[in-house]
Amino acid sequence: MAASVGRGPPGSATARIPEIDPSEAHRAMTTDNPHTDVLLFFNPAEARELDALVDRIIPGEPGSPGASEAGVLRYIDQGLAGFLRDLQTTYRRGLLELGELARRSGRGRFADLDIPTRERIVADLDRIGREDPDDFTGQFFRIVREHTVQGFFGDPAYGGNTDLAGWRLVGFPGAQWSYTPDQMQPGFDASRIPMFTVSDLYRRLGDHR
Amino acid sequence: MTQQFDAIIVGLGSAGGIMAEQLTKAGLRVLGLEKGPEYTDDDFAVKQDELRYYQRGAIVAGVSVDPVTWRPDDRATARVLPWSAGVLGTDEPLYGLPSIGTGGGTLHWGCAAYRFREADFRMRSAIAERFGEGALPEGSTLADWPIGYGDLEPYYERVEQEQGISGRAGNIGGVLQEGGNPFDPPHARDYPMPPVAQGPGDPPFVRATQRLGLHPFRQPLALNSTEYRGRPACVNCGFCHGYPCHVRAKSTTQVTSVPAAKATGNLDLRPHSRVLRIHRTADGTQVRGVTYVDGSGRAHRVEAPIVILTAYALENVRLLLVSGINGNGQVGHHFMTHNFGWFTSILPEATNPFMGTFNASSAVDDYTSELVPDNDLGVLWGSPIISVTGDLQPIEAYHNMDPRVRRWGLDLKHWMRDNYRHMHRMYSQTTNFPYPRHYCDLDPTVKDRWGQPALRITHDWEDHDANSVTLFGRYKERIAHEMGARAYWMDSPRPPYHLSTHDVGVHRMGEDPATSVTDVHGELHECRGLYAVGGGQFVSYGGYNPNQTVQALAYLSAEELLRRTGAGALRPATAGTVA
Repeated sequence: MAASVGRGPPGSATARIPEIDPSEAHRAMTTDNPHTDVLLFFNPAEARELDALVDRIIPGEPGSPGASEAGVLRYIDQGLAGFLRDLQTTYRRGLLELGELARRSGRGRFADLDIPTRERIVADLDRIGREDPDDFTGQFFRIVREHTVQGFFGDPAYGGNTDLAGWRLVGFPGAQWSYTPDQMQPGFDASRIPMFTVSDLYRRLGDHR
Repeated sequence: MTQQFDAIIVGLGSAGGIMAEQLTKAGLRVLGLEKGPEYTDDDFAVKQDELRYYQRGAIVAGVSVDPVTWRPDDRATARVLPWSAGVLGTDEPLYGLPSIGTGGGTLHWGCAAYRFREADFRMRSAIAERFGEGALPEGSTLADWPIGYGDLEPYYERVEQEQGISGRAGNIGGVLQEGGNPFDPPHARDYPMPPVAQGPGDPPFVRATQRLGLHPFRQPLALNSTEYRGRPACVNCGFCHGYPCHVRAKSTTQVTSVPAAKATGNLDLRPHSRVLRIHRTADGTQVRGVTYVDGSGRAHRVEAPIVILTAYALENVRLLLVSGINGNGQVGHHFMTHNFGWFTSILPEATNPFMGTFNASSAVDDYTSELVPDNDLGVLWGSPIISVTGDLQPIEAYHNMDPRVRRWGLDLKHWMRDNYRHMHRMYSQTTNFPYPRHYCDLDPTVKDRWGQPALRITHDWEDHDANSVTLFGRYKERIAHEMGARAYWMDSPRPPYHLSTHDVGVHRMGEDPATSVTDVHGELHECRGLYAVGGGQFVSYGGYNPNQTVQALAYLSAEELLRRTGAGALRPATAGTVA
């Protein structure tokens, strides 16, 4: 996990960090280990189900990563082990409901269904979430969708937005210290602005962490 | 032994920071009790993090600490508002209370620094004169303020000079100024700094409103456009509204008044100190001090002949009520809040909405306050229409997305890809009239972690509120058409929120002790030495952001307080009296 970078005791952790060109810092932080090989909350079966769900909320396409490739599962898993811990039961129970819907739609688990079947289930969840604000399953879907968007577009420090997939998709330059008067001109092509993350800004400030 | 001070200030935010500076400079020994942290520049060195600040509300209090409940009417059971990431992490909009910690709401605000207009202080009379007494909203407790614009003008100017405001006054001494707002009330002089760099998405709004015959002007902002009083100019980072400032360019009392108060040596500032109760003499007519808990949970009793509540309108009310201070039943009444009427457009040109601050943009005042056009919806009071061009990060953009588009799958993904960089927003702040059915009291069941009752808001949008949003939606629609918007949509006229950082009126000022809570200078009618200062004192509520008036009232109250205690003699008095 990326968590091994710069988080351990000063001596041991720094020894494992390769030399990094500061302008490439966000790449090092996020491409080191993009796989969700450690789970802090979910069990592997739950993780697989949730990954398949977020993959339908923001799907990947050729050349354009979706929520699954961007590590949204990791964002949610890490969140549930920390800031979002009050939602642990909501997720556990929600995934059981998702499994139930999958069983009724075909065979096996949600992650095993073909894409059209999964999309039919997501369309149902979306409809329920809009029509009945008190329905648990609909509420669960709304929460997952919210967290999918957060993990896809939030700073990669939170475990998602791998390779800045979310920011590249929409053209958001990320954690900028400032914009120059030139860049503020109408019509400026913002894709020319190098993207930065919170981690990059800390590095630019020097060793102040 | 109980510690004694000359004055205790509860909340070192927008108004409290100013009061602390004024009192300590006059030589008073002041205890400042702040329930949040005492922030330093190090706290905000890197703050460009949408999840931390905007989505998770890192510097506002959460529901577990400061629960506020809401219900639409007396018959309903109130529920805890889901603000600050919510009890269930819901996707309901985050409408939080102001930030806590030194600086308070001015840490995270969007810096809109509007003066109220002359007519805003006499809304009741102005409506009656134009539309007739019969047009006044039935059952409303709408009243004129006991002070007028002229009384507050010198204090507005002090805010502008001392806190640092950028902009272009449109009316100096009655003479209209090129490039300013032609509907401005008269200013004695211009703002100390020119407007900040214009957001790249603002020019289409300016051109469109000009073609429509309106008069766009650059908004006055509490944000440095040049170096001012040792603080640098804004660097346009685009993480401003909802975020603290990383370069000290934002005018927050955290970098203006609080350090100035500390420099006097007369401020004993205690962060993580939450006031539980206000103490009075046995007959209740004179304040004696407060009890607070410190960060380790230990209670302390401290005494002073002056106690100033500057903890935000709603928390001021909660402290008064839990302390049993509500002799005439007026505390918590006359609740008013803004309905923002959010309107989003997709423009043909790129707007780069992540650059610069929220309000680095223009507004039109052609339909504001008493200038509201005759209309078929019965709308009696107008609002500015404000262009919003900066501070839009992707998660917030998702929250603003076109409601007609499916919110999952490639529809969601492609919508964000194709529209984010073309988004432009507008809002208005339509007036709320006060009614007896809109009020705050103590929740009978929900408690905070110290066992004290949560504040409960009983409020629903009235027909006039909804009609105002609808009317202003028409004007915005016209502007959006003129901007050539590819698509546009607007918020519901009865939005789901009932609280923001714009809640006012709940400890109303007035001359009659039977119908108001404080006098003009914030002192409670029923308790000598006890002050409640800020938006809670507002008598009516027009379309402008409240903070400039909150801070003007703080300067006014500090000056009068010093005069009453005799301490004002220590410093030169400002000319001008207040009715």
